[in-house]
Amino acid sequence: MARRASLSQIALAALGACLVLFIVGPLLRLLLMASPGSLADAAADPEVRASIALTVFTATAATAIAIAVGVPLAFLLARRDFPGRRLVQGLIELPVVIPHPVAGIALLLFLGRRSVVGGALAELGLEVVSHVPGIVAAMLFVSAPILVSGAQEAFRGVDPKLERVARTLGDSPWRAFRRVTLPLAGRSILAASILSWARSVSEFGSIVIITYNPKVASVLIFDRFTAFGLSAAVPAAVLLLLVALTVFAVVRLLQPVERA
Amino acid sequence: MIELDGISVQVGGFHLRDVSFAVPSGGYALIIGPTGSGKTTLLEAIAGHAALRSGRILLHGRDMSGVPPERRGLGFVYQQYHLFPHLSVRQNIAYGLAGRQAGRRAANGRADELAETLGIAPLLDRSVRGLSGGEQQRVALARALAPRPTILLLDEPFASVDPTTRHLLRRELRALHEREGITTLQVTHDFDEALRLGDLVAVLADGRIAQSGAPEQVFRYPNSAFVARFVGTGNVLAGVVERAGQGDPFAARFTSPPLVLEVVAEREGPMHAVIRPEDIVLSRSELPGSARNRMAATVARLERLGPVTLVHLDVGRLLLASVTSASAEEMELTAGMRVTIAFKATAIHLV
Repeated sequence: MARRASLSQIALAALGACLVLFIVGPLLRLLLMASPGSLADAAADPEVRASIALTVFTATAATAIAIAVGVPLAFLLARRDFPGRRLVQGLIELPVVIPHPVAGIALLLFLGRRSVVGGALAELGLEVVSHVPGIVAAMLFVSAPILVSGAQEAFRGVDPKLERVARTLGDSPWRAFRRVTLPLAGRSILAASILSWARSVSEFGSIVIITYNPKVASVLIFDRFTAFGLSAAVPAAVLLLLVALTVFAVVRLLQPVERA
Repeated sequence: MIELDGISVQVGGFHLRDVSFAVPSGGYALIIGPTGSGKTTLLEAIAGHAALRSGRILLHGRDMSGVPPERRGLGFVYQQYHLFPHLSVRQNIAYGLAGRQAGRRAANGRADELAETLGIAPLLDRSVRGLSGGEQQRVALARALAPRPTILLLDEPFASVDPTTRHLLRRELRALHEREGITTLQVTHDFDEALRLGDLVAVLADGRIAQSGAPEQVFRYPNSAFVARFVGTGNVLAGVVERAGQGDPFAARFTSPPLVLEVVAEREGPMHAVIRPEDIVLSRSELPGSARNRMAATVARLERLGPVTLVHLDVGRLLLASVTSASAEEMELTAGMRVTIAFKATAIHLV
């Protein structure tokens, strides 16, 4: 019995190791390919710096919008039963299954100057397509579902009876939310926000269609690769990878320790 | 004073139908019922966490229907306590005092005072994680009492602590109730608790109140077979009542095969006979006295419950009799022994 168990464990470990290597291998290869000198050059390159700054700025803006409108929605979805709740739940998760260029084309049609919405925004002085707001729109489209579902999970993890206790102790619904629900769900919501931010940073497919210029980092890397080849793309790619890894580490540190 | 005036509530799968019940000011009432009978839903409705479909809830004579929970002035303790895990013991207790005129000093003073009373003063600056069940219970109680509510709602407060702690907490709670004079409504599935704690008890079955009254009254005169079984009155036999003949207009015969008992009845038909174990007299020899029902029985089993011993008797079906453990010793009762039992016609309660 013990022998069979250990054999199956070896098989499982071997399969798992294949996948881990498949993920770690290419990333390591990429990191090793960039010399410190070329990295320093890339970091000093004004175009690279501008694109990373733009990426960080737009991703932060998209996340801020997602938090402002997504957290209240997540709370409603987690706590209230209303007609059409399941429909809203499904719609909010829809972007996950849409290929990103398709999302980009859809956004282009919806927000272009000749569309009703895009036209109205242009009237107000807000140019979307081929401008920074287009990047934010594309990022919001692909990253909001991550934030909403993460925040929903966070709220579900708070027992509604805790809120009821707070209410009988004199709290208004809003005060109970602020004093009990938010502190308990906050950490998980923060983790979901960072994950959503990272998703925005990594977006390419829809941004490349709606706003090629100014270039976010992923578009710049693609641009250099197609125009000048691999060696031109690598240093910028490594820089973006380092940004992503840093975010990943922060998220792992923030994740609540599992309770027994 | 808590008055429930024909309230109906539906939350998820739980229904309460036309529940009417009143707890006088300063009273201690218990709602008892099996799991799933709607007890917690009833408390949540009183606290304002569940909307009423019909009926009214009056607290101290004021109609509270539609008043939000924070303005009902009551304390609530859940079965699992639901302490705020991100706050210390002191912060939990003082939770309901924050933002009041009284200020932080007064809040701390009240927390200290309650912690002292409930014996949790050494825990005040600890996190609530890792407290024992009994400690959590005391913190939850202190937290509910801190804002000086006039009404206290308790949802199975002793269900999650060990029996020793339970006895201690019951005594403390009763003493606290007497001192602070808070109108208290507690939910339990344990009738023993109702007998020990309550001035008033209501049996909840399937979302309705099956019977209410003084605990002793409900225990002695259950109004249905369900209540009799639930409160553990003892022997509940299904059978049929018939007139015994001329003479005494109330003399009747109750047949529950293989038993035929003499009873006092006002009407005929299918009924349940409830016989309390302590009303059955048991002897190894012929029994003297005027008891109209007497028969031979075999001792099937002895169940010793401290000072009382429950005797399981075989009379063609099972009957329970209770004797003091001292007299069980004296009679040298053992399983398999033949005895004579007797009980009065008036000791049989028909429902």
